[in-house]
Amino acid sequence: WEGDVKAAGAQRRTAPPGTACPSASAPRLLLRLLIPCLLALPFHSETPNVFHFKVFVGKVAFKGRAAVFSTVCWGLANKCVISNSFILDDPDLKDIDPTVLKHCHAAAATCILEAGKQKADISAISTCLEDCKLDKERIEQFCTEYQKNKDALEILLGSIGRSPLHITDVSWRLEYQIKNNQLHKTYQPSYLVTLNVENSDSGSHPDVSFSCTMEQLQDLVGKLKDAAKSLERATQM
Amino acid sequence: SMRNYFLNIGIDTIQHGVDGLVYLLTESSKLMISEVDFQDSIHVLGFSDELNKSLLQLYLDNRKEIRSILGELAPRLPSYHSLEWRLDVQLASRSLRQQIKPAVTMKLHLNQNEDQTAQVLQTDPATLLHLIQQLEQALGEMKMNHCRRIVRNMK
Repeated sequence: WEGDVKAAGAQRRTAPPGTACPSASAPRLLLRLLIPCLLALPFHSETPNVFHFKVFVGKVAFKGRAAVFSTVCWGLANKCVISNSFILDDPDLKDIDPTVLKHCHAAAATCILEAGKQKADISAISTCLEDCKLDKERIEQFCTEYQKNKDALEILLGSIGRSPLHITDVSWRLEYQIKNNQLHKTYQPSYLVTLNVENSDSGSHPDVSFSCTMEQLQDLVGKLKDAAKSLERATQM
Repeated sequence: SMRNYFLNIGIDTIQHGVDGLVYLLTESSKLMISEVDFQDSIHVLGFSDELNKSLLQLYLDNRKEIRSILGELAPRLPSYHSLEWRLDVQLASRSLRQQIKPAVTMKLHLNQNEDQTAQVLQTDPATLLHLIQQLEQALGEMKMNHCRRIVRNMK
């Protein structure tokens, strides 16, 4: 069995890593990083490490960097594993037992997400993987792939979380009121301002619209300019 | 006496009288008709000159207030009241540590039909500058010749 894996590993090493897409989808990212980990299944190793099923379900304490691989990240990793069929359908991995595949994917996801969260540098990750008894070549391959996708991963992680409604754009309309059914000869200019907003959860949200007079709009713009000025001052500190 | 005078007139008559006065004043104020037009309009009712004079005075004294009340009845969108702002920097979150993410958090106070609402919004520095640029353009429009001409000609 090990022989088969090693042979398969030889093939995979020459395969191109695949293009990194700017809006790196989590599953693709993790799959690319998973492959070198998969090839280093240390199933016969005595020291329990994260790639052992028992370790990552929390039944056996992980030695070495135990604090890093916490169950908190396991939840997040689970979320990113998304659909099992995604992994199971990949033609490169069809020779491997599906259960093993799932475990390894989850383990790799945990490792990657934790490294990303802590903004770990390559040396820290290497040391960590050495403790997991991975050989130099695998570690190097993992680290290279990680380095390539590090920025995309950080952007992805940074975008997770709650925030108030986020303004993305503004549109305005200037009108001159002449009359309405209650009052004629009103003759007043007024602005209608619409703020396009986005929700961190669902992505869209009804826009915030309001009307204002010229003086009120001047007040609003003045306040926004104050905010911008203090931002500028803060960056110069 | 006054009381007897009123008691001798039926409720309906008083009602009609009040309705008539209200209608006269609101319509005149709504249309913002001139003194001359007002006088001409009530002339057909055949009242005494003294009464016509009082009515005209009543109209002139109250039309500004009536107009402002009528203005409140018009369909309105929530209107701007004020804006509070605050500068924040996100340093870390559950999913990512060691961040430096600046943001401007704002509280927008709006008036809607006598209620005041406050909405908390946030934006990033780049969008803030974009907002300022767009809204300054909006303000600039009023000073353009096109708008000035229309305002001048529609008085």
